[in-house]
Amino acid sequence: MNLRRDHVGGAAFIVIGALVLSMSDDLPFGTLASPGAGMMPKLVIAAMIAFGLVLLARARGSPPLAAIAWDDFQHAVRLVAITAACIAFYTWLGFIITMSLLLFGLTFVVERKPIVSAALFSVGVTGFAYALFRMALKSPLPQGVLWF
Amino acid sequence: MLFYAFLGCIVGTLVGILPGIGPLAGISILLPVTFGLDATKAIVMLAGIYYGSQYGGSTTSILMRIPGEAASVMTCIDGYAMAQKGRAGAALSIAAVGSFVAGTFGVVMLTLVAPPLAGLALRFGPPEYTALLVLGLVLLAYMSSTSLVRTLLMAAAGLLLGCIGIDVMSGHFRYSFDIKELGDGIGIVPVAVGLFGLGEILSTPSGTVTQKVVSPRLRELLPNSSEWRLSALPIARGSVLGFFVGIVPGSAHIIASFLSYAVEKRVSRTPEAFGHGAVAGVAGPESANNSASTGAFVPMLALGLPTGPVTAVLMAALLIHGIPPGPQLVSEHPDVFWGFIASMYVGNLMLLALNLPLVGLFVSVLRIPYAYLYPLIVMFCIIGVYEVSHAIVDVWIMLIMGVVGYVLRKFDFDPAPLVLGLVIAPTFELSLRQSLVMSGGDWLIFFQRPIAVTLFALSAGLLALAAVALLRKDWRGRLARAQASGGEA
Repeated sequence: MNLRRDHVGGAAFIVIGALVLSMSDDLPFGTLASPGAGMMPKLVIAAMIAFGLVLLARARGSPPLAAIAWDDFQHAVRLVAITAACIAFYTWLGFIITMSLLLFGLTFVVERKPIVSAALFSVGVTGFAYALFRMALKSPLPQGVLWF
Repeated sequence: MLFYAFLGCIVGTLVGILPGIGPLAGISILLPVTFGLDATKAIVMLAGIYYGSQYGGSTTSILMRIPGEAASVMTCIDGYAMAQKGRAGAALSIAAVGSFVAGTFGVVMLTLVAPPLAGLALRFGPPEYTALLVLGLVLLAYMSSTSLVRTLLMAAAGLLLGCIGIDVMSGHFRYSFDIKELGDGIGIVPVAVGLFGLGEILSTPSGTVTQKVVSPRLRELLPNSSEWRLSALPIARGSVLGFFVGIVPGSAHIIASFLSYAVEKRVSRTPEAFGHGAVAGVAGPESANNSASTGAFVPMLALGLPTGPVTAVLMAALLIHGIPPGPQLVSEHPDVFWGFIASMYVGNLMLLALNLPLVGLFVSVLRIPYAYLYPLIVMFCIIGVYEVSHAIVDVWIMLIMGVVGYVLRKFDFDPAPLVLGLVIAPTFELSLRQSLVMSGGDWLIFFQRPIAVTLFALSAGLLALAAVALLRKDWRGRLARAQASGGEA
């Protein structure tokens, strides 16, 4: 069988629905007169699985799976990795250090820009954002271990 | 008083442009500043922030595909596509003019029909809300020219996400995985910013972006005659639709922009242009969003009923100043009521005068090389999401949603219905369960009340039409395949 885009799309929603349903054991469905916390999620899961099945059944008309272009995948992985690292350290290292490192990581490591311009850009933009949000708008940006 | 309207408009525009600081946060932060003012000046300034932020919200949506708030989600789609085609100035101008027309229309309607319309909104109980929200979802799916099933799947995913958190009726924790921040549910901002802002960046490596770094002339910044012509009817439709949706309590201005987009796509002669820079895809939702914001003042001023968190804060501001909003507001405090209405007329003009000259400045953002621009957007996404709730969990949700948005794009799913599902999930669930409880479990309650049964009948009719169209398409496809195989033989 030639695997098509909607075969994978439909199947993914069915699997997600089944997975969430298995996590809903502790949520009572209740009765019509006294609906429980599980009523809405279970109804929605049922609808999701049903729509997933329809998508799967009609998948023949969708493009082949191999037609999906993944040429941007490496860019996406690098970006997600750097952003995840930034989020992980955001409250611990504080706004200035984390954001400078995020911008430097994206411009120097991912985009291969010259180190000096990447560093100047990172520090300058972070400083501007800090002045705008922290000083002008009094937003409580995370301070981190170094108090800034 | 004009000064305070002007101040409110400027602050509101900035609040709308800066990602993460939505109208609610902006008004809440500045509420204490108004304590020293008299009631009229205070409400005029705070309302200026509210509708100013609706204007400003379109800027980041069009230029960077970051929705400042959920109501700007639909503007992201075609506004950003227009910007990619070098028509950012035109998109911003259309958004500004559409917002002005819709805002002014909303104020005229507010002046003329506030009391009777608010009375109608009062007749909406839980069954009517359930029916209205079902109609909203069905309408969105029906109007979508891509695929009914895909739209409904996305809406279901949004509704399921909306179930996360504490169940308001029983106190059960649902799918919160012992993360206390998830007790309040998943925020709209992290989901919308992740799906639209980050998702776009993930699927756009800088090598694929070609930028023309040229200084556009004034003529190029403004829409051409064809774009003006294409935006006229969507602005008119969005204004009317937005106002009537706006007077219904709930996240009306968000739903109004989604519905307007769906309507424009459906009535368009070129629905395939939507998603690729259709002028109507900017003009309609932007107008509906602004008109609905004005419509939301109807129940607040005429009945003292807040229709959402923003109007609730504005109402609190009036109460702090000793002015109870409600039916007596016009007779007992005419200076506040009419001063407020007058400031909205002037405020809309001020916003147009403020925004149009700044279009050139905003467009110059696109001259920043993409390799430097997208790290900047990622930073603003993180700041914006974190600033809403100061919870790092929300930033993680944004990142996860960015990845989800990337994958959804690959499989040709439109993420907009997912956001709508998330927005309406709490109201939908509450009204559905309240209806069942108040009828003692008799689901016929939905068919015994005239407004609810009319809305459900409309939904059923639309679903039947969509099913017929789907079957007809299948049948034609089969016929074409059979003819092709017959020809080959």
